[in-house]
Amino acid sequence: MKKKFVSAAVSSALVVSMLLTGCGNEDNGGNTGSNNDGNSVESNAESNAESTPTESSVADNGGETPEGNSGYVLTDLKVMVDGTVNSVKQETEAQIKVREAFIPQLEAAIGEVIGHEINIDFEVGDHSKYNEYVGRKFVSEQYPDVMIMSANMMKQYQGTGLLWDMAEAYDNAEFNTSGRLKLTGINEGMKDSQGHLYGFAPTYGNGCVTYVKQSWLDNVGLNGDDIKTYDDFYNMLLKFTQEDPDGNGVNGDTYGFISAGLIGTEAPWTNYTAEFWQDAYPSIIQGEDGVWYDGFQTDATKAALERLKQAYYVDKVIDPDSFTAGTKQAREKWWGAEQSGSAGVFTYWAGQWYKNVIDNLAKNELPSDVYELAPIAEIQNSWGGFLNREAPVWVIIDDGDGDDSREQAIFDAFLATMMDGDKIQTLWTYGAEGLEWSTEASEGFTLNAGTDKEKVYGPYAEGEFHQLPSVAEPDTKLSTKNHLDPLLVVSPLTNGYATVGDLESISNKFFTDHCVDAPVSPSSETYSERSADIVDARNVAIAEVVVNGGDVDAAMEKYVNTVGSLVEQILTELNTAE
Amino acid sequence: MSKKKKIVTSTGVEVRQKSLKLRIWNNRGHYIMFLPVFIFVLIMNYWPMLGIRYAFMEYKAGPGTPHWIGFEHFARMFQADAFWSAFANTLILSIVKLLLTTFASVLVSILLNEMGSLFAKKTLQTVIYLPHFMSWAVVASIFTLILSPSNTGMLNGMLRDLGILGSNDSNIHFLATSSMWRPIFYIINIWKETGWGTIIFLATLSGISPELYEAADIDGATRFQKIRYVTMPALANTIITVLILNLAKVLNLFESVFVLYNSAVYDVSDVIGTYIYRQTFSVARPDYGYSTAVGLFRSIVGCILVLICNQASKKVRGRGIV
Repeated sequence: MKKKFVSAAVSSALVVSMLLTGCGNEDNGGNTGSNNDGNSVESNAESNAESTPTESSVADNGGETPEGNSGYVLTDLKVMVDGTVNSVKQETEAQIKVREAFIPQLEAAIGEVIGHEINIDFEVGDHSKYNEYVGRKFVSEQYPDVMIMSANMMKQYQGTGLLWDMAEAYDNAEFNTSGRLKLTGINEGMKDSQGHLYGFAPTYGNGCVTYVKQSWLDNVGLNGDDIKTYDDFYNMLLKFTQEDPDGNGVNGDTYGFISAGLIGTEAPWTNYTAEFWQDAYPSIIQGEDGVWYDGFQTDATKAALERLKQAYYVDKVIDPDSFTAGTKQAREKWWGAEQSGSAGVFTYWAGQWYKNVIDNLAKNELPSDVYELAPIAEIQNSWGGFLNREAPVWVIIDDGDGDDSREQAIFDAFLATMMDGDKIQTLWTYGAEGLEWSTEASEGFTLNAGTDKEKVYGPYAEGEFHQLPSVAEPDTKLSTKNHLDPLLVVSPLTNGYATVGDLESISNKFFTDHCVDAPVSPSSETYSERSADIVDARNVAIAEVVVNGGDVDAAMEKYVNTVGSLVEQILTELNTAE
Repeated sequence: MSKKKKIVTSTGVEVRQKSLKLRIWNNRGHYIMFLPVFIFVLIMNYWPMLGIRYAFMEYKAGPGTPHWIGFEHFARMFQADAFWSAFANTLILSIVKLLLTTFASVLVSILLNEMGSLFAKKTLQTVIYLPHFMSWAVVASIFTLILSPSNTGMLNGMLRDLGILGSNDSNIHFLATSSMWRPIFYIINIWKETGWGTIIFLATLSGISPELYEAADIDGATRFQKIRYVTMPALANTIITVLILNLAKVLNLFESVFVLYNSAVYDVSDVIGTYIYRQTFSVARPDYGYSTAVGLFRSIVGCILVLICNQASKKVRGRGIV
């Protein structure tokens, strides 16, 4: 009897505890959630007035001078970043050394501006799984104060009340009012229809450029400047596939093109295979008339699938590994020492990666001249150029207490200073002073000494800006830039610290001369949660047509049958909201 | 009014059972020793189970969640063709893989047991154990290279050299062809796990009395007959135990599929684990409630399988496994 009673009591306790825990969450209604850092996020922006102030906010008010006009003293800041802030990474000893130099320098520089000490804690998420990383952190209510998001991620969170509307702060920021802001359209374009701005993009998004091995062009008797149309482009791929572009004496052991997937894993989706997709945009997109529609269910997409099928399945000018290859595999196959089985054309990111592909070809003792192919006519005439992806943004987490002073203080201390044009922007651009760059007089240095790539840097006069050798590879490489690319930034440096004429700059200029902004990502409750179903159905359709040589119409019909109603629901949400 | 229960001792003496309080007090040393384990199990095994409630909630990042939505996730799950496809694939891939790897392990164990040279036997054992210690990511990289459809693919090259693929034939995209993906998956699993699976069978074989073989020799049994009439019956119980124990885990399939599958073969390769992964981590703002609901369903099916196995074990071996 007692046994039964004990069992029943334990079972009841378990059930009740489950229910109570659940009910507790329901009762909260998401109004308050304290994280383990003492940070907290309250109800969404629409119900700010009903929210109660959090018990502990991020920063302690230590009786210091408040930032700007916010009336709030910010002494601690928790920052979450992906792998694009090179100077705070901590995976290798060299990275740790740089991080330990960079963060105190940044804290000191910001502290100088705001008039008191500030402690900045950088948390670096896994770059390739940042989305997943952020999701896990958010769902366990571990919110940073300020963080990096992709534009798409910001769109999915902007309606939740988690992100602070920084439109007013942005409009009143010194870099904006002083006229130093050069690329005004980037952030203006991010404002929603009500003028809210939930993220600040310090640079434009960047995109991909089509790289062609110059030696291969020479070997098949082609001139890159003559490749103007898709027919020219395809002819080049055929020659690379059927002739002997690598000069090993064997015809047909190479491919025309390699890519990391036949479609990208994030917007703008088509940038690794732009010449094949051309005017198609295989995702939900807003038309010129403002109406959202599914770009995958269009004739342009069907035509693009036929082109890809012809190239991949029929003529085999695309390396078949492209279907399953990740970016690393595609890159390494393109510049690998063994060129048999490699490809002549590879579309990849502009700027830093232009230098990387050249360096790696040279490292493998291959001809390292790379031709940057301008957009073919079909791309130029439809989009106007390569697609410049939506810029990654910095967002500020709104604590939902109805008082913007903390958020304004974060903007003033962290984001506004990032664009100061001088000391802090230099840190964000080139990293730690004394380790990655310097203005002190020196005799200079030599990289790759004793090789045919030997290059002498310097001497440098006092006050002359120059980058220093990489901490990780001091004998062979210059240090890499930190977070902001001086050529992509919306508000340039005013102190003249620039590395002009290097390969990154050449490539960035080439891209900016040939790019247009990518379509904006949709922002819908259903899309943010169910996009995986659509992506799955789309990828299956692409595989059926391109990889297995299936019929386009049949694949499209299957796509519609699988996710047609879901797509309709999302389009209704989007078009109703607009 | 409590009535004390009478118990009969082994010597047939009838005594009154002491009260529970008294019994606990008398055995307080044992209870104190048991307490840390009990607390550990509660915290580590039972407390996380409270997360089951999220299967009935919308649970997304951001304010306003989690909140109860009842059985909505289950309704969505049961309406999704992709879920049922993944469920069927999970069962097929797991069960076939289990049968094949168990069969291969038994076969290899018997062959190893028959080897005369101890050195050769030990060396071979070590060699076949090694793949087990390689991560699935490494295994996938190796087989992706071997099975590559490009000019550099080793298997396609061999087929071409042997004349099986003619000059006009395309290279075979093994991992992107639905009819080939499952056999390749099974082969890779057999290669990786057979060696490890032999350990338990070799242990059983080493426990067979040599007298049985000597008796068989005296009776003039051939080597095959000794395997058939001595070794196999001795192994039968172990084979059934291994099968039953592993059958309970068949739904926990993820990594081996995740590193080898792609969108061209979702129809034959997508399993519940990979389906949950994409639903959770391929979207900007996942609903963890849905992932939990799918996971809960998987756990319930797993639980049912354990109970079925237990019943099967009782019938076959006369005792259960739980």
